[in-house]
Amino acid sequence: MAAEQIEVPAPVRQVQSLIAGIEGTLEKWAQDLGRDLSGMRGIVPGAAIDGLVQPAVKGLLAKDSPELAGAGFIANSGLVGPDRSYIAWWQGPQLERVDALANFSPSSMERYLKAEWFRIPVESGIPHATGPYIDFLCTDDYVVTFTHPVRREGSVEVAGIVGTDVAVRTLEQNLIRGLRQLGPAVSLVSAEGRVVVSSALSLEPGDLIALDDAGLSYPVGRRFSIVSATED
Amino acid sequence: MTQQASSASRGLAAVFAPLRSSGLAEQVVERIEQAVETGLLVSGQRLPSEVELAAALGVSPVTAREALSSLRARGLITTTRGRNGGSFVAEDFLPSIKGAHEQLRTLTRLQINDLGLHYSIVTVACAGIAARRADATELAILRTYLRPAQDTLLSWRLVDSEFLLELAAIARSARLGRELVRLQADLGTLTLLPYTDEAFREASVGMRTAVADAIEARDTALAETTTKELVHALIHWLLDEHSR
Repeated sequence: MAAEQIEVPAPVRQVQSLIAGIEGTLEKWAQDLGRDLSGMRGIVPGAAIDGLVQPAVKGLLAKDSPELAGAGFIANSGLVGPDRSYIAWWQGPQLERVDALANFSPSSMERYLKAEWFRIPVESGIPHATGPYIDFLCTDDYVVTFTHPVRREGSVEVAGIVGTDVAVRTLEQNLIRGLRQLGPAVSLVSAEGRVVVSSALSLEPGDLIALDDAGLSYPVGRRFSIVSATED
Repeated sequence: MTQQASSASRGLAAVFAPLRSSGLAEQVVERIEQAVETGLLVSGQRLPSEVELAAALGVSPVTAREALSSLRARGLITTTRGRNGGSFVAEDFLPSIKGAHEQLRTLTRLQINDLGLHYSIVTVACAGIAARRADATELAILRTYLRPAQDTLLSWRLVDSEFLLELAAIARSARLGRELVRLQADLGTLTLLPYTDEAFREASVGMRTAVADAIEARDTALAETTTKELVHALIHWLLDEHSR
């Protein structure tokens, strides 16, 4: 089997390593935060969460390859109180705090459960990537959001999620050249078949393509792939 | 040279226009109003203290105090003293139909028509692209905004704006999305008024359903026409009311 494996072209490996890099960063952050939260018993005050999350976000947003639009943590029900969520999320170079009034809302859990990037990792317990979509809650920008569940040490329950937004334009800047090297109609697509970046002029981010018709296909990270296909 | 400069500088004129001096406190007021209008904060609930609010929004406690006192002066929050005291969202916070009528009176027909044209152009463009891009999950979300779960004025107005925002979300244009958010802010509480009319409420459900059906059928032209009808119905209702 191994001998028959076709060698993965360098541009594909570059895309794979960029996406896997983001996912790996989140995985490590989720572990670190889970460990820190384990040290706190019972209900955790919002200010304590801020104290743990903000320095990490600051570090993440200072990285420039790829540039992350925002990052943070959102609590699952139970961590800061029954039936309540808590958002500690910052965006942009000025570390602007996002959606802070929601922390005073009695319906904060409901608010985030509506969002795929929160609901899926919380309910399934596995990391997720959402988008591309317009993030009306935070950046008002066209983004892909990567999220990873956070668990306290020795617990199976999801205490919350950590996540980061990457602007679609940032992904294009980083990936378009590689995709063009692979061919005139090669796209990075989500598991739903939605184009994130494509070398084809006829395909824009957000367009749907039928994955079945795909010629070449390489997995990228947990939820993406590189495919060659043009039509929806 | 001057001729050229003046003809080329219509865009530049906007750059040099005086900045809107909406202060930080006013922005905090707007945020809180918006939070109540969209159901994030609810009537009767306790608001954070000045210090908490300041920390959460990244403003100084002085600014937070100014914002709270402005909200208090307008009757949007009440403050009680004592051990269980604090600031609370007023029981009858919004929607203020009176305020919406006042807003309508300050506008001319020309302004209402122009606002309607802009609103229509943006939403129709979103609907057209949405018909190409919607998936099953998004259609299901869109259909949750046909009719509100509760029969309150605030809920009707919320489905009105959320339905159109969902069209923008499905279309996935950041520019059109931001434009729509800005337009809805400009429309303010005006969109409340048509929903005081029961006939309009029911008609709007039919019109939103027609848009959702067209998008599900991936019919770009029909999605555009039906969205245009939905927005026009709203603007025509306002013009009608304005002429009374």
